[in-house]
Amino acid sequence: MKTITAYKCKDCGHVMYPHHYRCLNCNGLDFKEISPTTKGRLLTYTIVDQLPWGIDERGRVLGVVEFDNGVKALGVIKTAKPRIGMRLKVGWQPVRVISGEKVYGLTFRKTK
Amino acid sequence: MRPVVVAGVGMIPFERRDEDSLVDMLAMAGWNAMEDAQLGDRSIDAVYVGNMASGLFNHQESVASALVDRLGLMPAAAERIENGPASGGSAVKNGFLGVASGFYDIVLVVGGEKMREVIGPKATDVVACMTHPQAEYIYGVTLPALAGMFTRLYMEKYGVTHEHLAMVAIKNQENGLLNPYAHIQMKITMEGILTHPQAHINSPIVADPLRLYDCCPVSDGAAAILITTEEIAQKLKRPIVTIAGVGQATDTHTLQERSDPTDLRAVRISSQQAFKMAGLKPKDIHVAELHDAFTILEIAESEHVGFFSKGKGAKALADGETRIDGKLPINPSGGLKARGHPVGATGVAQIVELVWQLRGEAGERQVKDASNGFSLNFGGFGNNVLAFVLRREA
Repeated sequence: MKTITAYKCKDCGHVMYPHHYRCLNCNGLDFKEISPTTKGRLLTYTIVDQLPWGIDERGRVLGVVEFDNGVKALGVIKTAKPRIGMRLKVGWQPVRVISGEKVYGLTFRKTK
Repeated sequence: MRPVVVAGVGMIPFERRDEDSLVDMLAMAGWNAMEDAQLGDRSIDAVYVGNMASGLFNHQESVASALVDRLGLMPAAAERIENGPASGGSAVKNGFLGVASGFYDIVLVVGGEKMREVIGPKATDVVACMTHPQAEYIYGVTLPALAGMFTRLYMEKYGVTHEHLAMVAIKNQENGLLNPYAHIQMKITMEGILTHPQAHINSPIVADPLRLYDCCPVSDGAAAILITTEEIAQKLKRPIVTIAGVGQATDTHTLQERSDPTDLRAVRISSQQAFKMAGLKPKDIHVAELHDAFTILEIAESEHVGFFSKGKGAKALADGETRIDGKLPINPSGGLKARGHPVGATGVAQIVELVWQLRGEAGERQVKDASNGFSLNFGGFGNNVLAFVLRREA
């Protein structure tokens, strides 16, 4: 399954997403590319009723997830009753159409 | 560095201004500041324009060049400064540096935005363009959505309630009724926006837990200040209000990368810088204009600036300490919530309000005996923040 690429500092082990030229923790310059694990936990979320132009829906749930290997990323939460701390399983689906092209991104569903 | 004086201030009412172009609005505000300074035929060395997105909102670029032409200020230097919702604050900072360094003697700073030229969802999209393109924007994230996620964490950690959020909206809209420049001229009640069984019709969800009345309106508007040296200001015979402290700090582009997302690090650092430069402490401030684009921000910023300790901002609000007649009035202008938030204008409009307050020219919303003021202009979602301390000289 396609997913995002995150970065682990070879000096201090700090995990970053998105990419930075210098480690945000130790200013290190060498990184190992890593993928997020398949599961994580919801850190915070919002249910958005007023979405921007081009997304014709209401009630999209957006949330920040911390994967089990420490990667943190925003994504679309595909569960009607989100709660902080809930376990989620990652997916990779179209999240927006930009200039007529489907753009894929992280989606999350409830799991144990 | 030379002391820098705000010798003139000017604004136009923030509202929906269909009849005026962006450059019209910038010119009117700029002219008002020049008149207020009683500048006469002295020439202006440089013009800085704070504006976030004239290209996307209005299909016009190089607005600073257009402005000097409209005002007839050539050959003054002219630049547009873009820093998202803190574009106005950044323009003020650049103007300040020009005069403080001795490079310029008289500088006009104008902030403005014409957002109502596009429909609401497009304005939301234009503002969302400041988010991270791959890690945030593609998901449909909006600034209210980032604020919603922040609010949920802040409520959980510090016990802030929906009632506290509504108190900010009610207070600032009450203040707005006393400000002829404020976009929203409407009294609201706790019952009408929160506690009545049908309050959700008046104040629907925008980005849960934030509702309509937790968010600033989308406005058109412009504000301007004319800044100069102490020596020239004395000749102009206007009250002397100096920019005594300036601070600016940044934070991660995305909210998720902050080790504690409820910590507004750039607010803390920029405020500390501004206080240190001014030789003042938060307790020395008599009036503050904070960046309440969302009600939660007024509470959180009041703590991060140092006015109240962490977790105590909501109580201070509930106790009435931040009302115009309170111990530390916050947003007597009505703030972004009532005055409106034409993004590039806000940081300048905050300084205009402080100058009016420190001169004793704020009319019905005048804060008593105010001689030290503070403003905070919050760019992105707290990833680029400017803080200013203004002082009325005896």
